[in-house]
Amino acid sequence: MTRTSWAEKAFRYVLLLAVLALTVGPFLWQLSTSFKSTTEDVYTSPPRFLPEHPTAHNYAEVADIVPVWDYALNSLTVAVASVLTNLIGASTAGYALARLRFRGRGAAGLAFVAALLVPAESLVIAQFTMMRDLHLNNTLTAVVLPGAVGALNVLLMRNAFANVPREIEEAAVVDGANTWQRFTRIALPSVRGTLAVVAIFAFMGAWDDFLWPLIVLSDSERYTLTVGLNFLHGTFQQNPRLVAAGTVIAVAPLVVLFACLQRYFFRGAGEGAVKG
Amino acid sequence: MHPSRGVVRRTVRPAVPLLALALALSACGSDGGGGGGSSADGRIEGRITFQTWNLRAGYKDYFESLVKEFEEKYPDVTVKWQDQPAEHYADKLGADAAAGTLPDVVNVSPDLSYPLAKAGVLLNLDKEPVAAKFKGEYTAEAWRGNTLPGLDGAYAFPWYLTTGPLFYNKALFRDAGLDPEKPPRTYDELFGAAAELSRRSGGRTATLAGTPAIEDFGRYGVRLMDEDATRFTYNEPRGVELLTRYKRLHDEGGLDPQALTSTPEQAGRKFLEQKVAMNPGGANDLANFRKNAPSLYRNLGITDAPNNTGKPNMYVMGLAVNRNGKHKAAAIAFAHFVTDRKNQEAFAHRVAVFPSTKGSLDDPYWTKHDGTDEGRVRVASAKSLKGAVNYTPVVMSDEMKTILRNEVAKALQGKKSPKEALDDAVAQSDRLLRRK
Repeated sequence: MTRTSWAEKAFRYVLLLAVLALTVGPFLWQLSTSFKSTTEDVYTSPPRFLPEHPTAHNYAEVADIVPVWDYALNSLTVAVASVLTNLIGASTAGYALARLRFRGRGAAGLAFVAALLVPAESLVIAQFTMMRDLHLNNTLTAVVLPGAVGALNVLLMRNAFANVPREIEEAAVVDGANTWQRFTRIALPSVRGTLAVVAIFAFMGAWDDFLWPLIVLSDSERYTLTVGLNFLHGTFQQNPRLVAAGTVIAVAPLVVLFACLQRYFFRGAGEGAVKG
Repeated sequence: MHPSRGVVRRTVRPAVPLLALALALSACGSDGGGGGGSSADGRIEGRITFQTWNLRAGYKDYFESLVKEFEEKYPDVTVKWQDQPAEHYADKLGADAAAGTLPDVVNVSPDLSYPLAKAGVLLNLDKEPVAAKFKGEYTAEAWRGNTLPGLDGAYAFPWYLTTGPLFYNKALFRDAGLDPEKPPRTYDELFGAAAELSRRSGGRTATLAGTPAIEDFGRYGVRLMDEDATRFTYNEPRGVELLTRYKRLHDEGGLDPQALTSTPEQAGRKFLEQKVAMNPGGANDLANFRKNAPSLYRNLGITDAPNNTGKPNMYVMGLAVNRNGKHKAAAIAFAHFVTDRKNQEAFAHRVAVFPSTKGSLDDPYWTKHDGTDEGRVRVASAKSLKGAVNYTPVVMSDEMKTILRNEVAKALQGKKSPKEALDDAVAQSDRLLRRK
C-alpha cells in the first residue's frame, strides 16, 4: 500500500486549486462585476473581486433593454427540442450502427465520422438558402433542424451500444424479443449514462449557438438568448456590468442542468471507455 | 488607435471568407444585369424593412417614433424596423444577400457596402435620379465617404459620422513630471512625451496600448493606395518612417506589453485600467469613462489626435437601399427621411455622433460649448470634421487589416525590418485584392 506524503498531498491540492481558479475564476469575475454599482470602477488594477456597493440593479436593467424572458423561452424551446431529437435520433441511429446488420453499415459509420470534420461555419450559407427554400427561415424550427441529430452524438451512442455485452441481447433473442423490444427494454436502459451525456451536449449546443440563429432569424422577437443578449453590447454604450449580468443569466440554466445530471454525466463519460 | 472604436470594432474578423462565399453564391443566383425589383420612381407605398446595426439598446424609442412619423406622412407605407446585434454583422448581410432576403433599407459602413455593391444587390444612388436629387443635402465629404472606388457612385445615403479626440490621463502625466495641461500636439511631441513617460516611470507606464493601424498611417500622411484603389502603397518611405518610430517606442517600453495582440477594445480597456497614458477615442467614450472608471474620469485630459495632413480621420455610416427590393420608391423615401437634416440632428443630440447633412454643424449645438466636458469634445470634434476623411480604404477587407497588423507586430518584435514588414504586407494585400 502506498501512502502519499504530506508534501505530495499539499502539492496536489495546490494544483487542484490552481485549476479551479483558472476555470471558475472568469465566471466569478463576471458574477462580481454584475453586482457592481455604477459608482465604482470596473477596471481597477489590481482587480477588486468584491463589489463595494452590491446591487441587483444591473439585472433589472438587462430585462429593461432586452425581453430576457421571451428570449429565454425561445432558447428553452430550441434546447428542449434539440435534446429530444438528439436523444431519439442518435440512439436509434447509434443502435442501428452498433447492432443491426445491413448493407453499407461501414460506409454509414464513416459518413458520420466525416461529418465531424466539416466545420459548421462553412455550411451556414447553404443551410440558410435551404431553409429559405423550405419557407422555414425566421422560425425556431429552422434553428433546431441542422443540429437535430448531431454526428458526434450518434457515434457516442454507437460506442455505448457496442459495449453492451452481446450475450445479453442474444439471451433476449432466445426469449423471442424482436429488434424493437431489444432496443427499448435492454439496450436503452444499459446506456443511461451516455444518454445523459448526449442530453447535456445537445442542450449546451443549442443553448450556446450564436451564428446560426443569428443568420436564420430576422425578427428580433424570435431571437434566442445568446443572440438577444448581444444587444447589451450597444454601439454607443459599453456597460460591462450589464454584459456580465446577461452572461450570468445565460449561464445559470446550464449550471442547473449540469447539477441535476452530473451523477449520470460522470457515469456516462466513463461508460464507453472502461467496459468492453 | 481608432477613434470611435465603438463603431469600428464591429467589423467582424472571421467574416471575410464567409461573406465572399455568400456573394459568390448570390452572383450565381441573380438574374444577371438589370435591376430587379420595382421601379424607383413609382408610388411610395408598400411594406419595407429597415435594419440598423446594434442601436436597439438605448435608442429604441427614437427609431420607433421615427417609423411612426414616417408612416403618418405616407399612410400607404408600413415600415418594419429590425436591429442586428454587433457581432457577425457582415456574415448576416452576406447570408441575406445570398438568399435574397436583404432588408429594403440597410445600415452599412463603406467597407460593408463594398462587397454587397460589387455583387449587385445595392442601389447606385448616383445613377438613380430619384435618389441622386438629394445629394446636395449632404456634405461633400460624407457623400464622398460613401462613394465606392471602381463602382462609379455612392451606394448609401450618408448617415452619422464619428470622429474623436485623443484622451490622456493627467494623473499619469503628473506622476512622470510632465505638464498635464500641455498634451502633445504633433507626432514629434507625442513620441517625445512617450519616451519621457517610460523613462520617468521606470517602464511601468506605457503611453499607447495599440499598434498603428491603417488610419494611423493615413493620419501620418502616408499615401495608402494608388488613385484607382488597385494597389496598396503604404510601404512608401513615410510609412516605413512611422513604423520605425513605433519600433523605437516599443523598444523604450512606450507600448503596452500586450499591444501587439490587442484589439482596439482591449486597448481601450488598458486606458480604463489606467495602465496606459493615452488612447484615441470617440466623443461617445466620455459616458463610458464616467460610468466605468469614475476615478479616471476625474483625471481625464482631452486633446486633438495629431495628424500631418491637416485632415482628421472620421468614420462614416450610411443607409443603403436594396436594389432588388419590391418597394424601392418607399425604401428611397424612408432612407432619405432617416438621414434628412432634422432627423440626423435629433439623433446626434441623443448620441455623441455627428450629422452628415450640410449646414448642421454650423448649429450652435456644435459650435458653442456649454462648459461641460461633453460640450467641449463635441465642439472640438465637430470643428475637426470639416475636411475630415475616412482614411480606411473601403476595399481593405478585414483579412488585409489583419495582414497589416501581423506584419507590424513582426517589425516591432524585431523579426523583420519595418521596410520588409510593410513590403510583405502590401504584397500579400495586393494579391488578395487581385483575386477578387
